[in-house]
Amino acid sequence: MTSLTQQLVDALGIMVLGMGLVFLFLGILILGVELVARCLSRANEASTPSMSEQPMPALDSRLVAAISSAVHQYRASA
Amino acid sequence: MDGLMAFWAETGIAHFTPGQMLMMAVGGLLLYLAIVRGFEPLLLLPIGFGAVLANIPHAGFTEEGGMLYYAYHVGIETGVFPLLIFMGVGALTDFGALIANPKTLLLGAAAQFGIFATLIGAIALNLVPGFEFSMKDAAAIAIIGGADGPTAIFLASKLAPELLGAIAVAAYSYMALVPIIQPPIMRLLTTQAEREIKMEQLREVSKKEKVIFPLMVLGLTILFLPAATPLVGMFCLGNLMRESGVVDRLSKTAQNELINIVTIFLGLAVGSKLSAAQFLRQETLGILLLGAVAFGIGTATGVLMAKLMCKLSGGKVNPLIGAAGVSAVPMAARVVNKVGLEANQHNYLLMHAMGPNVAGVLGSAVAAGILLAVLG
Repeated sequence: MTSLTQQLVDALGIMVLGMGLVFLFLGILILGVELVARCLSRANEASTPSMSEQPMPALDSRLVAAISSAVHQYRASA
Repeated sequence: MDGLMAFWAETGIAHFTPGQMLMMAVGGLLLYLAIVRGFEPLLLLPIGFGAVLANIPHAGFTEEGGMLYYAYHVGIETGVFPLLIFMGVGALTDFGALIANPKTLLLGAAAQFGIFATLIGAIALNLVPGFEFSMKDAAAIAIIGGADGPTAIFLASKLAPELLGAIAVAAYSYMALVPIIQPPIMRLLTTQAEREIKMEQLREVSKKEKVIFPLMVLGLTILFLPAATPLVGMFCLGNLMRESGVVDRLSKTAQNELINIVTIFLGLAVGSKLSAAQFLRQETLGILLLGAVAFGIGTATGVLMAKLMCKLSGGKVNPLIGAAGVSAVPMAARVVNKVGLEANQHNYLLMHAMGPNVAGVLGSAVAAGILLAVLG
């Protein structure tokens, strides 16, 4: 009986230790993720102007028609 | 006449023991659940078939030299199969939702309480005559509460190989039963108003963050919990292959062919442990009971933690997503989504639940590492 009580006390110890460590580990991970997010967003702010949108050159409508008809013919023959 | 007698002596009918027949029936039941009811068919089908094969008299599948013997010996005793599966799961996992809202890691941590509470439960069960679980047995049983098949098999193969069959069957059965076990607990612990809470849309996560994440997890494991590196390391490898974008071929193989091949052999090898001598015992009933308790407690503590976060954040967190903190990816997240939709038809919680869901995978791997470090 005493050994069972001892085992239960051990199990309780493992529970407290285990939950503590799980929270500690994942807690540190939270800090890490937030740190990375903050660093990257700061780096992005500095570099975003270079990512300005470039207008797509308008496609010639005759070229589009030619390509789509070629695709159709290829699909029909395949 | 002698020839006929010799033939008769070699038939299955002449050698069946009642235990073998019963275990074949258990195998048949698993096949039924997989095929007709659609419960985790990818695993229960090979496990069920393995159970049938393992109980054929005079077939020698599970004796030294038999195929199932080697499948178990090579893949499970060494821990290789569950680890390969974990790599595949890593390659299948998108941490985007978690990185966008890292606080959900706390939900994945809270839900691991199911594991540690069950550890005490398993020891307390020794009060009942006929049960004699050692601390290692108890830890292997408790990990069922992590709701993660490969983790459960890995830990059981290290701590309590003789209980592996029952633990694996319990783990996968309960994962299949997530849609039945979780919703009542979730409804019990939350109010209608809480279930209706809508959550803010998650921010976009950059590729860099996704690449750094597995490396960071690995780094932390190396520093604080080397015992968890087999599980976490393989998981991070799979995830890095996915997110780095430079090894698409490897990533696809890990997600599809490799995980499928390993699943077949893992299922068969686990099924081979379902022999009458090892399964038809009082302990099995205890394991099935404790597994359900572990699952329930994990769900409850996840929801309670989410309630706390809801209070602290001023009602921005829907407490339902805490239930996804037990891993069981993606089933638990889908269940959260379903219960959320019942409360509010326009409330889609799936993406928000994926955060705690993948956090649960990490949490149970960490919990397994802790149990290994303390008891292994």
